[in-house]
Amino acid sequence: MSSTTEAPYFNISDPAFAMHSEEVRSARERSWYARTNYGIAVLRYAQVSQLLKDQRLSQGSGQWPAHNGVHSGLFYDWWTTCLLVLEGEDHHRIRRLVNPAFAPRHIEPLIPRFHALAEELVEAYAASGRCEFVADFAEPYATRVLCILLGIPESEWPTIARLASTIGLALGVTINDELPTIEDALGELFRYAEDLIIDRQQNPQDDFITRLVEANKDGESLNDAELRNALVLMIFGGMDTTRNQLGLGIQSFLHNPEQWALLGDRPELGKAATEEVMRTNPTTTWVTREAVTTFEYEGLTIEKGTTVHLFTQTSGTDPMAFPDPEMDIEGEHAPHYGFGGGIHHCLGHFVARADMTVAYPILARRMRDMKLGGVDEWLPDSGNTGPVRLPLTFTPAP
Amino acid sequence: MKIHVDRKLCDNHGQCTITAPSVFRIDESGILQYDENVDDSLRSDIEDSMDVCPVQAIFIVDEN
Repeated sequence: MSSTTEAPYFNISDPAFAMHSEEVRSARERSWYARTNYGIAVLRYAQVSQLLKDQRLSQGSGQWPAHNGVHSGLFYDWWTTCLLVLEGEDHHRIRRLVNPAFAPRHIEPLIPRFHALAEELVEAYAASGRCEFVADFAEPYATRVLCILLGIPESEWPTIARLASTIGLALGVTINDELPTIEDALGELFRYAEDLIIDRQQNPQDDFITRLVEANKDGESLNDAELRNALVLMIFGGMDTTRNQLGLGIQSFLHNPEQWALLGDRPELGKAATEEVMRTNPTTTWVTREAVTTFEYEGLTIEKGTTVHLFTQTSGTDPMAFPDPEMDIEGEHAPHYGFGGGIHHCLGHFVARADMTVAYPILARRMRDMKLGGVDEWLPDSGNTGPVRLPLTFTPAP
Repeated sequence: MKIHVDRKLCDNHGQCTITAPSVFRIDESGILQYDENVDDSLRSDIEDSMDVCPVQAIFIVDEN
């Protein structure tokens, strides 16, 4: 099992590659890792948990544009200098400055507004007994939550949604073809972020952007470009991922209708439902790392520069860590890595957890007997996945 | 002041090593190590560490 010739092989840039497949399950049973067209994939919980935090690996997403033929330009420059891919002291300095804005104590007061928003969006379509979940709920909810968090007027959500979705195309294997469109959107979002920053510099408020603008501690500070880049990363990272994750949760509950009924009756299970969705069906299907040095691990030599994909869904459903890996919102489970881990752990996870914990029980209460109501359409499993279109039918309930 | 990390919750992510590097460190086996007794001058860094811990495992146990 330790020799590469015996390891399974996946072509992870094939749009048909599926995480929830017998191919991946049987590979995980045979071997803790697989070879892929971009390095290795780690399949089991124990090894994903260790390697996520292993300091011999750095964040590996910086190579993503280059792997796909993009070597320069506005997107390349932003991506390769943003917090997501930075390492060392620059990473730590920016993370120390932006972290406090995401603290649970700043998120908690927003929860009643998340509630009101979820109820408002469901109310708009509930009586018909049908919806297209992405357009009718996931996209406006994820984007307006972000507006609430950042202190942007909620009426501006369509602009934010359009820009974040377009930039999201950069995470697909078609990045090179879409590049002009992606860069137009990124340029527009840069100007939007710069306007917000100037406004808060002149009119400080008790909000998230003001906290970033005022972030200056122990002689550390964010320069203007870093502040803008961080804000753009938050808008992009906060909207696209949450929208996708909401839809993936609905997919999980379509497969587990008894769990949906239970959640509708017991809203206090919202937190557990969110964790179970993240464990068994995360939008970020893998977390990318890169070996900064050559090292031995579990009998395998990992050469410096090797890309290491840590498969989140596969680790979260590994029978060695989860004897009954199926979604169970009443069960006790080991921690999952749906938000990544280590020093690059998702920055916005408290917000994402809070907004899903609010949304799922409201949806389950009001949309009884939920079923697929037409032809659904999905992004490929590689990278960040989720529904493009998810028509549903249900029995309306108050 | 005195601090405590709940080892049942701690998953060794190391976010606290960014916010308070003089108190928290990850050892060679990837396990979090920390000083229980912390100078009061570091209170703000400890509070930031408590906020940022993904599993909320850090507590101040002694307010004296």
